[in-house]
Amino acid sequence: MTEKVSISITVNGTQHCVEVEPRLLLADFIRENLDLTGTHVGCEHGICGACTILINGDSVRSCLTLAVQADGAEIETVESLGDAEELGPLQQAFRDHHALQCGFCTPGMLMTATDMLRKYPLESDDDIRDGLSGNICRCTGYQHIVAAVRAARDERDRG
Amino acid sequence: MKPAPFEYLRAATLEEAVAALSASDGAAKLVAGGQSLIPMLNFRLVDAPLFVDINGIQGLSGITENENGGLRIGALTRHFELETSHLVRDHYPVINEAMKYVAHLAIRNRGTIGGSLSHADPAAELPAISVLLDAEIIAIGQEGERRIAAGDFFEAPLTTSLRATEIVTAVELPGLPIGTGWGFEEFSQRRGDYAVAGVAATMTKDDGDLTDVRIAVFGAHGTPLRAHRAEQAMRERGITAAAEALRLEIDPSDDLRGSADYRRHLAGVLCKRALDAATERAA
Amino acid sequence: MSPPDDVNLTRPQFVGAKVARREDPRLLSGAGSYVADIKRHGMLHMAFRRSDHAHAAISAIDIEQARTLKGVIAVYTGEDIAALVNPYQATSRMKNYQATFIPPLAVGKVRYVGEAVVAVVAESRYVAEDALALIDINYEPLKVLVDPEESLKPGAPKLHDDLESNILAEREFARGEVDQAFGDAAATVGGKFHFTRTTPVTIEARAAIAEYDKGAQSLTLHCTTQIPGILRDKLSEIFDLPGSRIRVIAPDVGGGFGGKTSLYSEEIVACAVSRALSKPIKWVSDRMEDLMTTGHAFDEIVYADIAVADDGAILGLRANVIGDVGAYSIYPWTATIEPVQVVSFMPGPYRIQNYSARVRSVATNKTLTGAYRGVGRPISVFVMDRLLDMAARKIGMDPVEIRRRNLVNDDEFPYKAASGLVWDKSAFQACLREAAAGIDYDDLRRDQEIARSQGRWVGIGVASYAELTGVGSRIAVAPGMPINTGTETCNVAIDSTGAVTASFGIASQGQGMETTLAQVVAQELGVKVEDVNIILGDTSAVSHGTGTYASRGAVFGGGAGTLAAKAVREKIVRVAGHLLEAAEEDIETGDGNVWVKGTDRAMAVRDLARALYSDMGRVPKEMRDEIDNLEATKVYDPFYGTTTAATHICRIEIDPETYEVDIDKYIVVEDCGQVINPMIADGQAHGGVAQGIGVALMEEVIHDDSGQVLTASLVDYLVPSAVEVPSIDVVHVEAELPDTIGGFRGLGEGGTIGAPACVSNAISDALSPLGIEIMEIPATPERIFRLIDAVAP
Repeated sequence: MTEKVSISITVNGTQHCVEVEPRLLLADFIRENLDLTGTHVGCEHGICGACTILINGDSVRSCLTLAVQADGAEIETVESLGDAEELGPLQQAFRDHHALQCGFCTPGMLMTATDMLRKYPLESDDDIRDGLSGNICRCTGYQHIVAAVRAARDERDRG
Repeated sequence: MKPAPFEYLRAATLEEAVAALSASDGAAKLVAGGQSLIPMLNFRLVDAPLFVDINGIQGLSGITENENGGLRIGALTRHFELETSHLVRDHYPVINEAMKYVAHLAIRNRGTIGGSLSHADPAAELPAISVLLDAEIIAIGQEGERRIAAGDFFEAPLTTSLRATEIVTAVELPGLPIGTGWGFEEFSQRRGDYAVAGVAATMTKDDGDLTDVRIAVFGAHGTPLRAHRAEQAMRERGITAAAEALRLEIDPSDDLRGSADYRRHLAGVLCKRALDAATERAA
Repeated sequence: MSPPDDVNLTRPQFVGAKVARREDPRLLSGAGSYVADIKRHGMLHMAFRRSDHAHAAISAIDIEQARTLKGVIAVYTGEDIAALVNPYQATSRMKNYQATFIPPLAVGKVRYVGEAVVAVVAESRYVAEDALALIDINYEPLKVLVDPEESLKPGAPKLHDDLESNILAEREFARGEVDQAFGDAAATVGGKFHFTRTTPVTIEARAAIAEYDKGAQSLTLHCTTQIPGILRDKLSEIFDLPGSRIRVIAPDVGGGFGGKTSLYSEEIVACAVSRALSKPIKWVSDRMEDLMTTGHAFDEIVYADIAVADDGAILGLRANVIGDVGAYSIYPWTATIEPVQVVSFMPGPYRIQNYSARVRSVATNKTLTGAYRGVGRPISVFVMDRLLDMAARKIGMDPVEIRRRNLVNDDEFPYKAASGLVWDKSAFQACLREAAAGIDYDDLRRDQEIARSQGRWVGIGVASYAELTGVGSRIAVAPGMPINTGTETCNVAIDSTGAVTASFGIASQGQGMETTLAQVVAQELGVKVEDVNIILGDTSAVSHGTGTYASRGAVFGGGAGTLAAKAVREKIVRVAGHLLEAAEEDIETGDGNVWVKGTDRAMAVRDLARALYSDMGRVPKEMRDEIDNLEATKVYDPFYGTTTAATHICRIEIDPETYEVDIDKYIVVEDCGQVINPMIADGQAHGGVAQGIGVALMEEVIHDDSGQVLTASLVDYLVPSAVEVPSIDVVHVEAELPDTIGGFRGLGEGGTIGAPACVSNAISDALSPLGIEIMEIPATPERIFRLIDAVAP
């Protein structure tokens, strides 16, 4: 057993000051310590993207980040986008376009799409597909996800 | 797939980080972006008693112009900053292009140039770019600062000439002549994966004659390689000869991504395409 | 009580409507409940030390260091677990079948890399993995069998000492005059086809939480399964517990695709350990475990040839199938399901009366193969439709034309195929016609000519298939299996608050069945879709159910739901007749109300329920003696099931230098009967095709000669991303509905059945000037490079 480390992390606006083992993955910290189980763990080696969250506004794989590395950071998870009774606009676009089936990759898709929509013009479907290519979905064949992100882009561009 | 236990030090200064590495007799490992390291930790393929995190060290990030017309890129500069930097776009559009092939946004947000070079994956883009552009890699260790030419830095797959107690702090790139043409070609079966093979090239023209032809190959050799024989063939006999020379110059290996034969073939194809593009762009 | 508005409108049509999914709000906001999300007081975490040998005798296991590690609660070996469970195997009445016992943890011998050998229970998964590293196992390596053609030879070392050979199942049959057909043929083509091994890769890996309640002597298993009912029934035998004290719950499940349709060792060990320790035990597979242990898919070598007349008519077909089924015969499907299905479906939707086939399921030192989306049929369609294209090329006929000439015609149904399967009427010809029209096939061919003249490698692929879906009690899903896969149960109940609950034995893994089944029940019952609560994946909900597999959810769920809702509606009508003082034939229901046709006399179903249950005296005792509740349980058996047909056409382009394959157009035209929700139906086709494209182009489980799995990470096992999957056009042809209740046909697997053949045909078409045929998939750039290298001058 190694020395625990004190960290302070703000998640979805709430600050948490806790002691954690250095080896604790941020994904596990979010799920196990904070009970925010919307962030899913799909591969633990950075390929599937299911665990994608935002750290200081940037999309990041929470399975490839140690909780101790997020000391002092502001984290946003899927729970920050809206809740089941009042979905946020991107979540609503996913629902309108049937952009999810089993829902397991969905939180990672949403967080990736959030970052993409902030950072890239996403002019074409190819751009959208390129942006989503780090998130594996096994159910949808991606087509409806592309449609949902396209709709969110149009909404963004309308201002 | 959970990491084995380790101690963790978030270093505040380079001195602290170097001291920690030295105190461990090289057993400690550095973590920066962690995008290659942490998967290996999760698979328990890498084990170390201590991880020294350098993300908190001030002054290791950022891109500035240097006195020889090029750029100095801090080791902690994230891939996304390279991808979007106007300085990079102005000085080295080839880097800008290369960054589009580096994994995915979430990885580029976190991964660093210092980490990519130190990890020295032979199929990665930035190590190849560093040999292409004759980068100098600046490292600090117990004996102080050291400048290592990129050509001397990469020794074998995942192996560099960096000592176990040294830390890459920055990369210095010399300026390219005005009118430098460039090409960057990479092939992977799935978007964002490591290259099966890739070729980057730059060149300038002087009165129609080619000068300063550079060709770097990755994914098709044990290290990122400056293909000097292919460069010479290009200067003397043109693109087809260069591609043929490159095929003979590399020593690819077999793995799940492709056989040595296919990689050799592919490197030639990509070389031709990169040189076509560079020739087109060279003024 | 004021009459509701619009009572005289006709009943709304929910079936066929694009209803937004009710699953979505929770899944989009991170509020779903997957097995890994569940926590219990005192819960412990389990991890497995797995074999790193493909075939070896276990000579010693030292667990002492692991047992004494801080945070470790218990460590179990194969012998320990064997003492806690009854042994089990997948039996079958099929002739020439040999069952294998499947030890939950290996006892004495390991037979594949990844087989669980020791279980560690600890306070956290981290500590459990620390302990795994401290276990010392001595192995004595045995000869490893990775090649099924070696394994089936007489004299090959046997994986299971008690069996006669490594051939776990064998079947041969012949119909018609096959040899004569080949003698009469204008052309014959054939060869060795290889459909490699893949793996499902649900993004949610498998997981289980077992909770044994010592006080109640009952076991609850939350599990990522597609088959809660089958698990419950088998666990009852394994643990000598009555079914009433075992509850298997599949909560939100992150994809299944067949990979979660088997009983897995980890589930049994979790239950055994929970019972032994009286603690909740949680096991969540990591991705490496998932890639090595979740039932693998396909893996067949097929020697096949076909004889055609000069008008393209298929005269005869021969197939010899060798299925590599891995180390054990998987429960409940057995080692027969995948390879036998290959030969059963090989003749496909074509008129073939001369057919001979042989199939062998062969054990090797690899992970068990099980059911994966399509089961056998992706291979049969790959082989059959590749053969058709090869034949068409030889006689100079267009691929669409040769299919048109051989597809069963509308006036020939029901059509008995040479393998004995019977196709009910389905739009075989219309799907081909509409697909060709929808993708502008003739234009594509013209464009292809131009592209070829420019040196581009453009190819067009066609594949037609038929599948049996929603198969009832006439045929077991796997030959001779002792489980009833032919019925499903639904209970519809309106409670005393007026709320409607419909409970099913099937489970959902993302197919949106909470929505589609609510559509079906609401329509039949005459209530609003949002007012129907759907219970799935919980064995306490109905007495018998098996689960979701084999494209059966819509047919069975929709059918049972309709029957139960209809029975409850009859009760509503009886009670309403009394309350509204009208003849029952004048009562109509809709939108949550009942009313007397042509009048303003109406009441809400909610009020009717209160009247029956809660308002003493509202309904006379005589009527309540007859109708004591608003509830009904019905079982549906579609008996023969029904035929779903489709044609896929795609256009691809191969980079003539890198050999990258780019799919540029893709159309699916299918006859899936009555569509319940078009948005969901399209999504099923998209996802199925995407998986089929993966199989065609990049997915492959690779073993080395020592049986090591080289593709044990998602870096090496390639699953397509959004870039590699094209936009797909899906068309549902409106044809005559089948005899299933509601006219539903199954559609979950179709995309994956057609796509490997379609894409392989397109690649072969592009490479046809070089004389290259794709006989092995995935057609990776590396494989195409080697094929081209072999024909290079």
